Amino acid sequence: MRLIVTLDDYGGMLFNRRRQSRDRVLTEDILRTVGEGRLVVSPYTAPLFPSCTALTVAEDPLAVAGKGDFCFLEERSPRGQMHLFSTVVIYRWNRHYPADVFFDADLTEFSLIEAEELEGFSHKIITKEVYQRL
Amino acid sequence: MKHSSILQRTGIWLLLLALCLTLSGCFSIAVPGQSGMTPPTEADTDPVDTDPVGTEPVETDPSSPDFVLTELPVYTGRAYEVLNNNIPVFAPEELTVEGYEFYSPLDALGRCGTVIASVGRETMPAEGEDRGNISSVKPTGWVQASYDSMGGQPLYNRAHLIGWQLTAENANERNLVTGTRYLNVQGMLPFENMIADYVKETGNHVAYRVTPIFEGDNLVCSGVQMEAWSVEDDGEGVCFNVYCFNVQPGIIINYATGASSDGGEIPVDPDAETNADGEVIRDYVLNIGRMRFHYPNCSSVGQMSDKNKQEYTGSREDLIDQGYQPCGSCNP
Repeated sequence: MRLIVTLDDYGGMLFNRRRQSRDRVLTEDILRTVGEGRLVVSPYTAPLFPSCTALTVAEDPLAVAGKGDFCFLEERSPRGQMHLFSTVVIYRWNRHYPADVFFDADLTEFSLIEAEELEGFSHKIITKEVYQRL
Repeated sequence: MKHSSILQRTGIWLLLLALCLTLSGCFSIAVPGQSGMTPPTEADTDPVDTDPVGTEPVETDPSSPDFVLTELPVYTGRAYEVLNNNIPVFAPEELTVEGYEFYSPLDALGRCGTVIASVGRETMPAEGEDRGNISSVKPTGWVQASYDSMGGQPLYNRAHLIGWQLTAENANERNLVTGTRYLNVQGMLPFENMIADYVKETGNHVAYRVTPIFEGDNLVCSGVQMEAWSVEDDGEGVCFNVYCFNVQPGIIINYATGASSDGGEIPVDPDAETNADGEVIRDYVLNIGRMRFHYPNCSSVGQMSDKNKQEYTGSREDLIDQGYQPCGSCNP
């Protein structure tokens, strides 16, 4: 299973049950990253991908996704479940937002294998990092 | 600034509010129960709309329409505290899909009052527009100082109540208060960023009110209340009600005058790990070339060369003893 998350400068994910930010360039890049694969998201995340035909919507995406699937997790940290993932894709907003849910999972068993910068629509630079299990 | 009937109604209400505050000499925040305003209708009648995630019970307090900030939160080391379960309070006529801005007149002491806007693309800076010079404005309590503990940076900013990125206001004396760098960067900016991104991406509007809280005749505000509600999607995109502290960790501020001195206590998380001296232990990233230390997630860390970067776990005090200075951006 492959994990996708978006983080601010302090590892924040969510504030008051709402995403910290969004960017159409990022959602397009997620679809490119998923390619022919399956993207599993929660009902909250699903409206970000109105044109995605390979979208699977589940209350608990991690319980539904299989090997090779992508899970875009917005609403909670995957702490304690990192063993499920072979790859972690982190998009960094390079901005600071309020947060009450943070990405506090352990990445020590993963290695950064790729990093690139995307010019966003509402963000100057979004950094995309790909980590692979060691 | 756009003029409309809603602006006029809001303006009249705010003028009355400013008069009340001046006469009362206190910081009471007037909200619906006192002003005739009501909260967003949908939030009141359909609480599911305030819970886009849908996984937890909505925290909406049924009494929220009468919410009044009567007691200021106590600073405990967080740049802001949530008010009223994060539910803002706006009158229906303030929730408009037409952009507008209103800035209260200065009071008898020359202090700013409540500012309110419906932030939309039309109120934001035009593409390529540069921020103007605001140094001509001297907000009340403007007694500038700089401290080694802040890396020599100035204590105060001319803090926009409504951030420039939202309404492109430059040297508007009704929109600038004496605010610490901490208030500006750690307190207010993250919320402004959230609104700005949302508006840029969706083209929707956000009802946004910022109220500086002055205690008595103080010339420097103790903090600001920030309320926001995204209009077109009934708060699904943006919804908050917070109080940001006008403090600077390690600095004592005389709010009556704006004077300041070194040595303020820095509140810490009571659950944090400490060393034998009672100093808080946490992770930092050092720039051993520039002798600065940062929080691991500080944006400056990514710009650091590998040869200068070093991870460190220990106390802030130890680092300062070793000659390191805290980063002026993340304020570790």
